[in-house]
Amino acid sequence: MIGEIVGILLAGLLTENFILVKFYGICPFMGVSKKMDTALGMGMAVTFVMGIASAACWAVNALLLVPLELEYMQTVAFILVIASIVQVVEMFLKKSVPALYQALGVYLPLITTNCAVLGVALVNVQEGYGFFFSVLNGVAGGAGFTLAIVLFSSIRERMEEGDCPKSFRGFPIALMAAGLLALAFMGFSGLKIG
Amino acid sequence: MNVKKMTLDGLLYQNPVLVQMLGLCSTLAITTSLFNGIGMGLSVTAILICSNVMISALRKFIPSSIRIASYIVIIAGFVTVVDLLLQAFLPTLSENLGVFIPLIVVNCIVLGRAEAFASKHGVLASALDGLTQGIGYTIALVLMCVVRELLGSGTFGGGILNGGEGIRILPEELGATLMIMPVGGFLTLGCLIAAAQWLMNRRKKEARE
Amino acid sequence: MKAIVSLAVRLLVITVAVAAALAGVNAVTAERISAAEAEKVQQAIVSVLPGCTDIEQVEGAEFDLVTAIYSTSLGYAVQVEPQGFGGAITMVVGVGTDGCVTGVEIVSHSETAGLGAKAAASTGEGPGFRASFIGLSGEVTVSKDGGQADTLTSATITSRAVAEGVSAALATAAAMEEGAQ
Repeated sequence: MIGEIVGILLAGLLTENFILVKFYGICPFMGVSKKMDTALGMGMAVTFVMGIASAACWAVNALLLVPLELEYMQTVAFILVIASIVQVVEMFLKKSVPALYQALGVYLPLITTNCAVLGVALVNVQEGYGFFFSVLNGVAGGAGFTLAIVLFSSIRERMEEGDCPKSFRGFPIALMAAGLLALAFMGFSGLKIG
Repeated sequence: MNVKKMTLDGLLYQNPVLVQMLGLCSTLAITTSLFNGIGMGLSVTAILICSNVMISALRKFIPSSIRIASYIVIIAGFVTVVDLLLQAFLPTLSENLGVFIPLIVVNCIVLGRAEAFASKHGVLASALDGLTQGIGYTIALVLMCVVRELLGSGTFGGGILNGGEGIRILPEELGATLMIMPVGGFLTLGCLIAAAQWLMNRRKKEARE
Repeated sequence: MKAIVSLAVRLLVITVAVAAALAGVNAVTAERISAAEAEKVQQAIVSVLPGCTDIEQVEGAEFDLVTAIYSTSLGYAVQVEPQGFGGAITMVVGVGTDGCVTGVEIVSHSETAGLGAKAAASTGEGPGFRASFIGLSGEVTVSKDGGQADTLTSATITSRAVAEGVSAALATAAAMEEGAQ
């Protein structure tokens, strides 16, 4: 049990990193990584929503879709659940935790179309995880997303000052940097538990 | 309706991947063999055309305050249809693309075109927009696949040609497995976008002279 | 208030229409999808009992973990579904007429990529792991538990599940053989 928990955490953070190994959530990764503090905000908002979405999608799937034999509705149901969660979280934070809303608010609407969130819900079903492991996988994946985006933003902050060929300015050179980061994360794939 | 301009925009000047930089997840993740690239590209094209047509036809029925939710439901519906059809008729492709087929729902290209084009234009124009943008996406995927496959495994047309083995162009020992791994995806896309920017810059210069 | 009801009704109409369309497509494709899965099982049978003919499903026999039994000219192919780390592992085990394992093929699984998924891979540790069951009989255990079959590195749960499935298949084939005589 402990071994499995450590295994999922390690996979989410390093060996199966959502962005650098599995390519979920590349759009916000490229879009919101110009500054380190916004990157951290985005990462935390995504982690938060991924945890809740994993729990809610697990419940919808196990208590509703499977008993009714409507598994083919998974994609439609999950995206609706995620969109509603994002809405509710936004309204809740605005009312009760204004400080947190100030920090995360602007990123919340973007999260609906972040494929890391829908991705983790679908992967949880495919892997047949129970409630606890689904939530754990969601949070671990979100933490991995945060780690990658924060590391990447600190690289990009420095890159602003560098000189590079005109055609490579902006997006392309950022992709190159992301590639090198992915290369570094490949080194973790040797990590083994058990 | 300017067919020529729309076609050029979709394929080149407003290419969804290389210029608008949308839908990067699948572009990076599944482009390891030509079969995957073409399969994914055509799936997205079909979904784009269908969702554009449907959303354009319903644009008077859908109130603007719930438009995003409505678009997502419609898109998710078409994505599931494609997913089920692939599982039934092309199980190998379905296994290769895996979770990236349902993830087309959150592919920014589809939602982006719904919001930016289909919600404001007629059915025919929206269908054409879906077709050109979809083909532009497919071209970008195929370019990625060809480069990564050639440098990574030294073959061309993996999954389709030569009984699925692909045609060997470079000897096997020369294959840099790195190009098939995530790193290769980032590097290849970076170079392709740089090439697209170079082309655009040159075009701007020529226009000025 | 009226505006909200109108919004809700319109969204509901769209959702119901989508759900109805999907139910229709599902009705058409469900059969094809299960047929494609059956085809995969057939291929697995031929792969664990190479050259076998007269594949026939044996009806009416029930054993633990066993989901289907096929009798062939070269022995039994038993489909078992032991619980792995990430859910059921569907696999086909070939048992020769001498009562020993002739091959193990994994049809579908949901083990973690890079860990348990190695059991089904066609490269790396996978082929050797599956081949290590060939020739074994009786109660099969993995090397970590003092048995003869290999244990996948850092995927003990998966390895044990596969061994459990193989044992169940061997017991089933033995029982079938006894019943036939």
